[in-house]
Amino acid sequence: MFQTVAVAIFLVTLAGIGVHWIAFPARSQRGGVSMVAGIVHVFSLLLIEQKQSLLGALKKLCYLVAFICFVVLAITGFYPLLVRGEHISGYLMMIHATFAPVFAICLAILAITWAGGYRFETGDCPWLWRFLRRVTVLRIPSSEGPCRCSLVVQKVTFWAIVGLSLPLIMSIVLSMLPLFGTHWQETLLATHRWTAVAFAVAVLIHTYMAIRIRTACEA
Amino acid sequence: MRRELILAGVLLTVLLLTTAFAEESEEPLGGLLGDESDGSRAHPTHLIPLYPENEDGERGEQVTLDAELVLPFSTKWTCGQCHSYDLIKHGWHFNAIDGNVPPGRCGEPWVYFDAKLGIQVPLSYRAWPGTHPPAAFGMTEFRFTQIFGRHMPGGGPGEVTATDVDDIGRQYVAGKLEINCLACHNGHYGQDQGGVGGYAVQVSRQNFRWAAAASSEFADVKGSASAMTDTYDPFMPMGDDKEPQVVYREGTFDADGSVLFDIVRESPNHRCYYCHSDVYYAEQDGPTEKWSCDEDVHLTAGLKCVDCHRNGIGHNIIRGYAHESDLSGSSLAATSCEGCHVPEGSDVPEAGRLGAPVPEHVGLPPVHFERLTCTACHSGPWPGDGAVLTKTSRAHRLGTPNVNKAEAVLPHILSPVFAQEAGTVSGSGDAASVRRSGKIAPHKLIWPAYWATLGDGKVTPVTLDVAETAVKKVFEDVESPADGSWPQMTNEHITQALTALGEAVGEKAAYVAGGTLYHLNDAGEVVEEADHPAGAPYMWPLAHGVRPAAQSLGVRYCTDCHSTASPFFFGAVGVDSPVASAAGQAKEQVEFQGISRFYAWAFSASFVFRPWFKVFALGSSAILGVVLLLYGLRALGGVARVLAEKE
Repeated sequence: MFQTVAVAIFLVTLAGIGVHWIAFPARSQRGGVSMVAGIVHVFSLLLIEQKQSLLGALKKLCYLVAFICFVVLAITGFYPLLVRGEHISGYLMMIHATFAPVFAICLAILAITWAGGYRFETGDCPWLWRFLRRVTVLRIPSSEGPCRCSLVVQKVTFWAIVGLSLPLIMSIVLSMLPLFGTHWQETLLATHRWTAVAFAVAVLIHTYMAIRIRTACEA
Repeated sequence: MRRELILAGVLLTVLLLTTAFAEESEEPLGGLLGDESDGSRAHPTHLIPLYPENEDGERGEQVTLDAELVLPFSTKWTCGQCHSYDLIKHGWHFNAIDGNVPPGRCGEPWVYFDAKLGIQVPLSYRAWPGTHPPAAFGMTEFRFTQIFGRHMPGGGPGEVTATDVDDIGRQYVAGKLEINCLACHNGHYGQDQGGVGGYAVQVSRQNFRWAAAASSEFADVKGSASAMTDTYDPFMPMGDDKEPQVVYREGTFDADGSVLFDIVRESPNHRCYYCHSDVYYAEQDGPTEKWSCDEDVHLTAGLKCVDCHRNGIGHNIIRGYAHESDLSGSSLAATSCEGCHVPEGSDVPEAGRLGAPVPEHVGLPPVHFERLTCTACHSGPWPGDGAVLTKTSRAHRLGTPNVNKAEAVLPHILSPVFAQEAGTVSGSGDAASVRRSGKIAPHKLIWPAYWATLGDGKVTPVTLDVAETAVKKVFEDVESPADGSWPQMTNEHITQALTALGEAVGEKAAYVAGGTLYHLNDAGEVVEEADHPAGAPYMWPLAHGVRPAAQSLGVRYCTDCHSTASPFFFGAVGVDSPVASAAGQAKEQVEFQGISRFYAWAFSASFVFRPWFKVFALGSSAILGVVLLLYGLRALGGVARVLAEKE
C-alpha cells in the first residue's frame, strides 16, 4: 500500500507544481528571465562570488549540504521501497545512514538561523486576517496589502519541514534504542516512511517556491 | 479353444479381484482399534499376545514358551493387531525410500565414512541437494540397513525385499528390519537400544528379525545371523550356539499368554535422544560433556520433544520448520517457532501455546526477521572463533558400545555454520523443486570426500567396492591416527590411487575432498580444482538446543554480530580434507551467506559510528524541538495578546 500511495503522492505533487508553473507563470518568465537562472542561483550560492558574513556563508553552506543530503537520502530511501518494492538494505542502507546525521545537523542549524525569517506576519495573508476578524470580531491587526502567496507557502513548508523532521529523526533513533518491541519497531518504521513522504513533499514545494521567488527577484 | 481362453481369463480376473479384496479386508487402513483415539488422554494398558512372523512372511502362531519353536515377536503382527502398520510405515521416520514423498527441508544425512580410503559421504534416500543416494555408492538397502539400522527405528530400507543376488539369501536368514515401535513408545526403563545386547548390536549382527524383541525389557537374543550361512533356515534351527535365538525372561507371559507392555503414546525425550543427540566441541572448553552444558530450553522448561514434534496414526511427525504445512498439508505443522511464540493468521488467540512467551525483541529492527531464522540467534552453541567439531548420534554411533570418544573421530561435522538456508525440496522426482528462503540459519556442515570418475565434466561416484579394491593397496602403509581422524594423504598417494582407480574402471578417475576435485592430467600429474561443485559441503539446519532469550545473539548489543571480528560473519569454517596439503584451510562464515565480505565488513564497521549517529540525531532533534517550542510559544503569545485585547 505504501508503495502505491507514496508514488501517487509524489506524482500529484510534481504534477501540481507543473500545473502551477504553467498556470501561474512567475513575473520573470513574462519578462524573459529564465527559470533556469533561478535554479542555478539557488543551488550555486556558494559557488559564485558573494559578499556574505560568516553566518551568511554558514547558512548557505548548510542549505546546500542539506539539499545534497536530502537528494541522497531520498534516492537511497525511496528507490528500494518505491521502485523495487523492498526494504532498504545493503549499500543503500549504509549510504542512507551515513548522510542522515549530517542532514539532521544541517536541519537543526537551518531551523535556528532561518526560523526568524520565516515567522508568519500579519501582512502575509491579509484575506485570512480579514476573515478571522469578521468571524471572531476580535481586534486582529492586519495590513491591506496583496497576498504574498509564494512567501506564505514557503513559510508553511518551512515550518512543515521543521515540524516533520522531529518524527522523521526520532522515529529512527528510537528504533535504534532498546526501548521498543517488534510491534512498535514496525510502527516506528512506518512513521519514518510516511513522515519521509510528507517531508519530501514539503521540501519539493519549498524548493519550488524558493526558485520561483528567486526567479521573480532576478526579474 | 477360444472358449477355454475366455473362461481362463474370467477365472483369473475373479481370482485377482478376490485376492485384492482379501488383502484389503485383512487390514483396513485406519480402521483398527488403536487407529483412532476416543479422546481419552489416559494411556491404554497394553496386555497383549505376541505374534511372530512365519516363514511365509505372514502372522505366525501366538508366541508361547511351550511352543516347539520360540520365535521373536514381530511388531508388525503384534502391534499391527490394533494399529494399521501399513499406515504407520508411511510416516516420516520410515518413508525415506518412498520417492513420492516430498523430501522437505534438508535434514541430517546418514554419513558413510572410511578413514583409510579417504571416504566421507552424506547419504540419503531423500533427494536433498548435496546428498547422494546410497545406490550411487553401490550400497543396497540390506547393506545400508546393516550399517545404519543401529539408529533407525526400523522400516524403510530395512523392509525392502532384497533383489541383489548376494542379499536375497542373507535377507531370508536375517529377516526384515520391521518398524520397532518400542524404540519410541516403550516407557519401560529396560528398553535397550544401544546396550551390548540391544537393538544396535543385533542390527550389526544382521539379527534384523530379532532386533525389536532384543530391545525389549523382557527378551534376550543370542547368536548372530551374520555368522550363519545363506542356507541357514531360521525356522528350522539346528541347535547351534551361533544361530540367533530369542529367550523370553521368566514372568513375561501371564496365564493367557499375554505380555504387559509399558507403552506410552508420547515418546519420552530419552527415546528421541538415542538418535537425536548432539555434542559440540567448543575450542576453549574442551569436550562438551552433558554436565557442562544445558539442554534445550524447551525441555528444561518441562516440554517434551513430542509436544512440538507431533504426529497422528500416520506418524507423519511434524519436523517444525516454517512453511512445512505447505508440504504436509497438516495445519498442525504450524508447530514451528512462530507457531507457538508469534502465531498469526488465526481468528482466535493462539499466542502462548504450551506456555510459550511472546517475544518482544526490544530494539531489534524487524529486518532481522526477513534475513534470519529464529534459530540463527537462538539455537546451537554460542558461536566462537570458528565452527567446532560436532558429533551426532547417527553419524558417530553415539549411545552404542565401543564408540571412539575422541574429539577428532570421523566423520567430521562442523557447526554452527551461519549460512543461507539449505532449502526445502517440494515435489518428487522430476517435479521436485527447491525453495530457498534466503534466510541465514545455523547449520551443521560436512565436506564430502569420495572417489569418482570424471567424464564430460561430470563427476560420478564409484561404488565403495570398486574404490576399495582399486585404492586400498595405495593406503595400506598410511598410518591411521588413534583418534579416528583422517590419515595424512599426500599428493603422491592421490596420484597412485587415481592411477589405480582409472585402470580399474577404465575411465578418468577423480577424487573429491575438501571442496576440491583432484584428477590427473595427461602428464600424470595431479590437477586440483578448488571449490568444485561436486565437492560442495552439505549443510543441514540445526534447530536445537534452543538457548534462552537472555543468551540469544544480539542480547548484549548489535556488535554480537555486527562487528568486524564477529564470529557470525567472520568466524572460521574449517575445510575438512584427508589430503595433507589441504590441512588447516578455512573459509569464513560470510562465504556461506550470499553476501560480499567487504559489505559485511563495512556494515559491521559502521556500527562503530552508531553511538555518534544517535548523539547527533538526538542533539539535532533537541534543537529542532526547541526552535519549534520557542516559535510556537511566540505564536501562542500573539494569540493570547489578541484575546487579551478583547477583554
